[in-house]
Amino acid sequence: MSNIINIMVSSAKNDFLSKFAIVHPLTRLLVIMLTNLFSMYFFFLLAGYVGNPDVTPEYVIIGNVVQSVATSTLYSTSNISRTEKHTGTLEPILSSPAKLFHVFLGKSAFGITMGFVSVIVSLTYAVLLFGVDFGSANLGAIAVVTVLTCLSLAGMGLAIGGIGIYLRTASILASFFGYIGLLICGVNFPITYLPSWLQIFSYGMPLTYAVEATRMAVGGATLSMMANPLMIMVSLGALYLVISWFMFRFFENISRKNGKTDSF
Amino acid sequence: MNLRAISAGFKQQAIQFLADPQWIIPSLISPFLMTMVMIFLSSGGTTIEGPVVLQAVLGGGVLGMWASSLFSSSSSVSFDRINGTFEPMIGSGTRIIYVLIGRSLWSTFIGLLNAFIVFFIAELMFGAGMHVENPMLFFLTLLMAMLSLSSVGLLISSLFVLTRKGGTISSILEYPLYVLSGALIPISWLPGWMQSISVTLAPTWGVDAIKYSALTDHTGILGVSFATDIFMCLALSIILILLSYVVMLYVERKVLRDGTATRY
Repeated sequence: MSNIINIMVSSAKNDFLSKFAIVHPLTRLLVIMLTNLFSMYFFFLLAGYVGNPDVTPEYVIIGNVVQSVATSTLYSTSNISRTEKHTGTLEPILSSPAKLFHVFLGKSAFGITMGFVSVIVSLTYAVLLFGVDFGSANLGAIAVVTVLTCLSLAGMGLAIGGIGIYLRTASILASFFGYIGLLICGVNFPITYLPSWLQIFSYGMPLTYAVEATRMAVGGATLSMMANPLMIMVSLGALYLVISWFMFRFFENISRKNGKTDSF
Repeated sequence: MNLRAISAGFKQQAIQFLADPQWIIPSLISPFLMTMVMIFLSSGGTTIEGPVVLQAVLGGGVLGMWASSLFSSSSSVSFDRINGTFEPMIGSGTRIIYVLIGRSLWSTFIGLLNAFIVFFIAELMFGAGMHVENPMLFFLTLLMAMLSLSSVGLLISSLFVLTRKGGTISSILEYPLYVLSGALIPISWLPGWMQSISVTLAPTWGVDAIKYSALTDHTGILGVSFATDIFMCLALSIILILLSYVVMLYVERKVLRDGTATRY
């Protein structure tokens, strides 16, 4: 067990060092700040322009605060295999005695951290620039929901990243799942607007429950009041993590057999 | 004008793209989702029809062109750095700007394809009613708008020679043009200072020309005529291309002087 933890810690450390060596932490923070600002402003304007009375700009802003975790954590963890392939480090990792799953689990720490940073930045914008009223919000509950959201989405991201080992690039899946929340997870409008066949996919996404729980927390709900969406979200995150373990084994074996570990 | 280098740049970009055509998908996902979000937002959970659908689809097509131009221009030199081909390229007797122009022309072609894919899927899903009075004029305005977006991409490519963070920084630039071009949200909805920036961008006029050629009751940004749109779009695009040329001359000299061509 301690060996697994060591592998995860060293993988996380290496990942932070290499990512920050390419893009300085302050530059990365600036990118998050500007990207979140423009994306939130875009949907803020869109909601105002469309003029749907059910969907206020405030509704859209809270949704996009949570969505920022998906674009950071989910995208980043889904894309780990692509990054390793492009930098030529997937084969050395595979030839080491460490299990690929444990290495990737450690590397997901970067995406999780970026998710936290992204939410803090977005919440700041929501209050200071977009005038969202947090007067009656349960700030402790918002913090708990954020932590659980980042972890759940990392679980889902690893499951997607597992498939990416076999694919030429995981960026298609990473882009798709990183942004699909804008449409199907209740970020910009209630999911009841969607056709019923599409709503089925909404219920399989941890982000749907994260958005619901965050809206409740902003409205002042306690953790016990939002237990239902939180339980489902965490269960889904755990389920995706278990699936990812099998995914890694399955696709790692296929890649090894076909000699396609480093093809892209 | 080095036509041979432009042709070689176009051909090389085409070969790279055809070797990995799935790159078209990530640049399609985000714009298409924006279109869908606007359509569902305006539907209010009931009917999906009316001019807003057509406007969303047209806007989505423009966003698709921008995403294609932005991501290909930001990754253009970055990939050369990763693949170790930047130094031989800069050491050859050809000015890099001509290679980049060739690559941008390929991106223009793929961007147009992106737009048509968005139109086609929207028509299939929503029956958007893409009735265009003058198809040839519509195609020409679309081509002009794409060239204007490519001219912005060309300038970005030139500037990104100076940095290894091109891929990261490009994500900042995606949403500002979504907002400023008026593709989905008319620029009259923007604050005055933002409108001032919008009118200096060639794509803003290109988008307006597309709307003139496709929407029957379009009145034009700031009440200008279709001819003004064409003139402004072409004039600003030419200025951007000339600016890119000057920037590239400076960047080439700087990179050669500092010996930083393959620093990664």
